[in-house]
Amino acid sequence: MDVHGLVDLFREEAPQASSELLHVWAVFWANFKIFLSYRTWVITETLSTVASIAMYSLMGLQVEAKRLGETGYGSTSWLAFALVGVASVNYLWMCINRISHSMQNEVREGTLEQIIASPIRLRSYIIGQSIRGFLVSGYFMLGVLLVGIFLLQAPLVVTVETILSFGIIVLVMVGSYIGIGVMTAGIILVYKKADPLTFLFISITEFLGGVLFPLNYLKNYPLLWTLAWFMPYTYALDAARRVLLTGSSLTSPAVLTDLVVLTLYLVISLPLGLRVFRWGYNRIRDEGTVATY
Amino acid sequence: MDYEQLTSLLSEEVPRTKTPIHRMVASFIVRDFKMWWTYKLWISLDITGTILFVASYYLFSMITTSQQVQDAGYVTGGYFTFALIRIAYQRYVSFTVEGINDSIRDEQWMGTIETILSSATNFKTFLLGETCFFFISSSAFLLISLVTGLLLGAHFNVTPLSLLSTVVLSMLLIASHIAVGILSAGIIMKIQQGNPLTWAYSWLTQLVSGVFYPLKFLPWYLEWVGKAFPLTYSLDGIRLCLQSGQDLSSLTVLSDAIKLIFFTVIATPIALYVFKKGYDAARRDGSLGQY
Repeated sequence: MDVHGLVDLFREEAPQASSELLHVWAVFWANFKIFLSYRTWVITETLSTVASIAMYSLMGLQVEAKRLGETGYGSTSWLAFALVGVASVNYLWMCINRISHSMQNEVREGTLEQIIASPIRLRSYIIGQSIRGFLVSGYFMLGVLLVGIFLLQAPLVVTVETILSFGIIVLVMVGSYIGIGVMTAGIILVYKKADPLTFLFISITEFLGGVLFPLNYLKNYPLLWTLAWFMPYTYALDAARRVLLTGSSLTSPAVLTDLVVLTLYLVISLPLGLRVFRWGYNRIRDEGTVATY
Repeated sequence: MDYEQLTSLLSEEVPRTKTPIHRMVASFIVRDFKMWWTYKLWISLDITGTILFVASYYLFSMITTSQQVQDAGYVTGGYFTFALIRIAYQRYVSFTVEGINDSIRDEQWMGTIETILSSATNFKTFLLGETCFFFISSSAFLLISLVTGLLLGAHFNVTPLSLLSTVVLSMLLIASHIAVGILSAGIIMKIQQGNPLTWAYSWLTQLVSGVFYPLKFLPWYLEWVGKAFPLTYSLDGIRLCLQSGQDLSSLTVLSDAIKLIFFTVIATPIALYVFKKGYDAARRDGSLGQY
């Protein structure tokens, strides 16, 4: 090929798939294929999940039923109580971590510049990564619940209505945190590191959300009790436990209140998260530090 | 400077003094500390995470009964002290099992492993240096966990002899787990990716080594599986010393110590053999510096 032929080739307008939906699908599919290539990881994580649920079941043998009865979720078993907490917190952690982790990975691998320079919008990239995160986390959450219900006989109220309600609660819960996830991604773009933030975030969520113990015990510590009710996860876990432990419906006043609070968090945190993300995105382009690690 | 001068300068034999091993190890500790100290935010969050973890189990212990823990022979402190001991020693376990792996992976990641190994530092010194820093930082986290636990009301029943026995058992815990770490590092050298052995070890011990509940809760077959892991004996011995005031003169604690020594003596040569094979294979394939 002569020089002129080569120049013409470069000038040629390549037909581009401009649909955002296609971009989202492409990002999701590329990352999902990467996930599927880590077979050993999937197997070990699955086994680890089963082992941890079995561990919780054995831990529950030390719990005094009378004290657990004071939690406000009826006469349930500790395994069922903890199962809902562990399943939901792990799901949340994996979903939120996915956005920040993928961004950090691109920065470290030096591929963020290519992504930004490509016709794919960063918004499509984040949505595609998030969908991959939701599906993979969903697999593990389902695993936790299935092992708990069928293998360890955790007494959860399982009907079509409670399953659907739980699904809706989980979606709203993730929605209420999506702003934080996007915000973290924006911070990573600038500071190139946000592991400590997500780590602290999950430690505090697990502790103040009452994953392993009834939240009532925090009442003796007014500061912690107040902080606990500032976290959206506390509302999500309360709603999920009411549905799966006592069979409450989404329209029951307590669950409905929790859902309203979660929606408020979504409405407030998402624009804030997007603002921080845009700030980070513009800043690294202004400073020319997109490829810097 | 003309080229002849330059050639003679480069040809000159530089008299090399052999650096004593303790100075090399000290250099590793200083280097790792400096790197660790640059992540101050991470350190403070790590400490916060540890405190929150202890606090979670303190609150969980409020809904538990101490009966089962006492029946298992851990007389004082109830469930909270029982769980606290595990949390405190968790860092030692993870640094010995995963620390060596992580160090090698980090050096591979940064592309510095070949530089280190082509210097006067041999691999044994490198591993020793890395291990020493991990030991110091894990000890700091052990202290932080124990102090937090004490502030939250953990109770111990100790005598000078039981404390001394705890130190001996802690050393045996580290020695026995280092064998697992070396074995896993040998595998990682060869396969160059995440090590299933470490993961499997982590989730299996979590289930069968009496980490958060007494061993008698396990069905007999899992109890037998638990007997294959050094963590089971380490935790049992240390808890008996710290919660029941027993020491190495007690038959149970002595039996735990002997089993740990037995495990270390058998597992260490096997682990070193596997590591040597992995290391030699990586050097032969030229993949030592590959990530």
